[in-house]
Amino acid sequence: MKALAITWVNVKRLVRDPSTIFFVFIFPMLLILVLGASFGGGFQPQVAVLDEGGGPFAQELVDEMAGSEDFDTISYDDRGALLEDVERGVANMGVVVPADYDERLQSGAVAQVEFVGRLDQSVVQYRATIEAIVADQSAVFRAARLVEAQGLAGFDDAVASAQLATTSTARTVVVRESTGESVFGEDLGQFDLGAPANLILFVFLTSLAGSAALINTRRLGVSRRMVSTPTSIGQILLGETGGRFSIAMIQGLFIMVGAAVAFQVRWGNLAASSVLLILLALVGAGAGMLMGAIFDNDEQAGSMGVFIGLGLAALGGCMVPLEIFPDTMVKIAHITPHAWALDGFAELIRRGGTIGDILVEIVVLAAFGVALLTLGTWRLRAKLTH
Amino acid sequence: MRAAFVIAGKDLSQRIRDRSAILLGLVAPLGLAFIFSAIIPDTTASFDVSLAYVDQDGGEISSGFISGVLPDIEADELATVEPYTDLDTAMVDVESGTTHALYVFPDGFTDGVLAGDGGSVRLVGNVDHSISTQIADAILSGYLAEIDAVGISVDAAMRSGAQDPTALVAAAAQSPDAVVLVDTEAASRELDATTFFSAGMAVFFLFFTVQFGVSSLLEERFYGTLPRLLGAPISRWSILGGKATSSFILGLTSMVVLAVATTLLIGAEWGNPAGVAILMISGVLAAIGIMAVVAVVSKTPEQAANWQSIVAVLLGLLGGTFFPLSQAPPALAFFSKLTPHAWFLQGLGDLSAGDGLSVVVIPALAMLTFFVVTVAIAVLAGRGRVLAP
Amino acid sequence: MNVLECEGLVKAFDDLVAVDDVGFHIAAGETYGLLGPNGAGKTTSISMIAGILESDSGSVTVGGTEITTRTTEGKRQIGYVPQDIAIYPDLSARENLRFFGKLYGIPKARLDERIDEVLAVIGLTDRGDDRTEEYSGGMRRRLNIGIGLLHEPMLLILDEPTVGVDPQSRNSILEGVEELGRTGTAVLYTTHYMEEAERLCDRVAIIDGGKIRAEGTRRELVELVGQLDTINLGVVGSARRLAEALASVTELESVIATEGSVEILVEGASGLLPRVLEIAQQSDVGVSGVEVIEPNLESVFLHLTGKALRD
Repeated sequence: MKALAITWVNVKRLVRDPSTIFFVFIFPMLLILVLGASFGGGFQPQVAVLDEGGGPFAQELVDEMAGSEDFDTISYDDRGALLEDVERGVANMGVVVPADYDERLQSGAVAQVEFVGRLDQSVVQYRATIEAIVADQSAVFRAARLVEAQGLAGFDDAVASAQLATTSTARTVVVRESTGESVFGEDLGQFDLGAPANLILFVFLTSLAGSAALINTRRLGVSRRMVSTPTSIGQILLGETGGRFSIAMIQGLFIMVGAAVAFQVRWGNLAASSVLLILLALVGAGAGMLMGAIFDNDEQAGSMGVFIGLGLAALGGCMVPLEIFPDTMVKIAHITPHAWALDGFAELIRRGGTIGDILVEIVVLAAFGVALLTLGTWRLRAKLTH
Repeated sequence: MRAAFVIAGKDLSQRIRDRSAILLGLVAPLGLAFIFSAIIPDTTASFDVSLAYVDQDGGEISSGFISGVLPDIEADELATVEPYTDLDTAMVDVESGTTHALYVFPDGFTDGVLAGDGGSVRLVGNVDHSISTQIADAILSGYLAEIDAVGISVDAAMRSGAQDPTALVAAAAQSPDAVVLVDTEAASRELDATTFFSAGMAVFFLFFTVQFGVSSLLEERFYGTLPRLLGAPISRWSILGGKATSSFILGLTSMVVLAVATTLLIGAEWGNPAGVAILMISGVLAAIGIMAVVAVVSKTPEQAANWQSIVAVLLGLLGGTFFPLSQAPPALAFFSKLTPHAWFLQGLGDLSAGDGLSVVVIPALAMLTFFVVTVAIAVLAGRGRVLAP
Repeated sequence: MNVLECEGLVKAFDDLVAVDDVGFHIAAGETYGLLGPNGAGKTTSISMIAGILESDSGSVTVGGTEITTRTTEGKRQIGYVPQDIAIYPDLSARENLRFFGKLYGIPKARLDERIDEVLAVIGLTDRGDDRTEEYSGGMRRRLNIGIGLLHEPMLLILDEPTVGVDPQSRNSILEGVEELGRTGTAVLYTTHYMEEAERLCDRVAIIDGGKIRAEGTRRELVELVGQLDTINLGVVGSARRLAEALASVTELESVIATEGSVEILVEGASGLLPRVLEIAQQSDVGVSGVEVIEPNLESVFLHLTGKALRD
């Protein structure tokens, strides 16, 4: 079949292009890796902790903070470094236990713990968490001082019994429950969130940038030569479409399989995610055909492809999650196929959906695909025969 | 010198006609910065926390919280508070997310605490409002810690031989805090989202813009005009000087236009113009050096373009131009510092803290180091080859 | 006085010696040809002469100034036309000319005037503001040469300027070169077309394998080979009778009669032709045509190198 021969030439040319190796195969994996390493595992605020005195009471406070499940602590031994890292956002906030912490507690004075926070970061909620830990420590010494004041024991003994009291006293408890449907899901893997966004971004980027090859074919006159052979225009168009589609599929399959193998990304229901990938590749192929037909300069189409590819990906929620978009932007995002595909994958990966749950997304993506392919082949036919 | 400017002028007029250069130098970064600024929610806007409570207890401890603590929270505009009488209605609202977190004080809570048996308060949070729930948790925990502190004091005193718990309660409640949390305000050296993406996109695409200038030397060879330049009565350095000049002008122009445009159109705050200028100039130089190395080791303009995009994208990713890497793992943070992008963004961030111009010295020196080292590599690697006809 | 003097030029690329001890000189108004097949070392030689390529050894002076790759001012005297079309496709002819004009330091006032002159000479006055990527191959070729003429050099170096050019453009290029010779410009012309060297060049060097094998006027070169001229007479009447009559002329090496023509081999055809025609008249044989074929550079090349000029 002649169309297949054209498709095959397209795929061969892609694989022979040296930068393909990087942009199609290495870069997407690298991006998933970097994103997963930086943002995977959920957001856990970082608290910079500096213990200036190093006394036993201070150590207890530091240990309490280190034991908190609400944030991670990073130890510092220099105030300047702590301050700088809070300013740069390496840590979200800082806690400094001053050198005189133990001394003040022993002497009956009020000990101060410093909370280092930035006005522009929403650290209010974490400040409250740290304040609760400080209050716990405060309670021990309040009790000890009461015991001492009542003349019941010396300071050291009073602290000891206060510490005993903190464990034996019946405490008030907050029973925490959660309800509602989670947007991000409960047990996402480190790379699960970024992988579908990358898949969609790269299938489109590769398809659009790949349109340069189609223009190149036309510019070199190979297309005219094809038309001069006893091959129908229909076969040529089918072959070129097949070429675009195969390239999109190669990119998509590589990321899907690669991410699953290298990063244990789960793609959810296999049949449903395969359908999404195929539709995505069709939409990409259509977009690539259209670009290849509209532009006459392969270099310009290449740059334009990168720009449109990145722009649509950003707008469609592949760079910043749709979940944090302002409401109107979420609506605007859904003019891109990206947002619909993301919705589809979210349903499959996070909520364990099947084909039945993503029918709307399937229909919309199919509509995008048909529209773009029709438009693309129509324009290309016009360019080939005029 | 004059010849270098003639060559730079010719290159620039070629670039201006080349739509790819305009597209990658101006349209793409501006368009992407615009999209990013539209899709990133404004984090500096007030954070909405909506709390609710159901008081089935009606005792003094629950009402101490409801009428002693919550009104202050509302007054400080930290959260809105909604009272519910019916638990089921309240639960429905939490589940739907209308209310972020719900306190439920069960019947007999106060009595249990006062009897020394402790007690529990339910806190029901909506899964998608974990931060609101955390705030709710922290407010309640702070209050209960005070209650507990009294209990602990009494308990400790009793252990040490005190006789009259009721008298102790009063004394314990009066006793002052032993440890308090005081605030130190830190300046911000991080860019706001709009500025971050404007600057990030600008420096990311800078490498593509500069690439057009640097690779034009390979283009001269491709067009066959390089022998013509070599045959002209000009020094060989002025050919390289011309290329460097046009790359520099292209890069700096795109940066300046982007800075002005993003400032005017989407409200980016680049900071002190003199500092920004220093960072931009050293950034453009670093980009020229790096792209020159790639150009020198490439044989054809096409090969150079391929490798230059790879290098530009890789450095952009590592340099944190697409997303901030401030909390990346140490290894990644280290690699990040091996890119001019990271230094450029750090310089802008430091500048935004408003500590004066001295903060840009180190980032600028870092970028100039890239320039010097890469130019040296380019000269060594290209010696005898770059200007061969 | 010689415009160009070069001697002992050597250039090796790794193990391959591309140019080996090349030297010659060109006087003002003289057109000098470097004739040789592709790969003979022509382009490498002129690259060194134009100060584009560093030579391993040897020297070049143009107008008394030594030319190396580091020379700047001295290069003003040289106009260089590369073999490949070397123009910016995204600039117009006028912009290409203006750019190179500035590099050659032509004063601004003179430059505009000179650009118009050159555009007229190369026949691009009407298309001067169009981008050159829209030009036909011949138009680009003419602009390629025009840029080399712009600054009125005393030495013009043309590297195979007619390769891939249609016959009409080719003829106009050759006429242009002849005209240059008349205006006193020294021209260094490389080609592998024997006819061009014969038509244009006052003196020719035959180059092969990086060495100049022979040099001189066309006549000198041919005589070097020592080959005979051929006189072909078209005959009305008895060719045999004429042949017998001519046998008496001892200077004729051989006389062969065929049907309607007589072929005579002779050394120095021009000198003997009047006598041959006189004998024909005396023998009452009508002569319908005379053709004198002198041995050409092609045969000289074959003789010197043992191979044909065209690859």
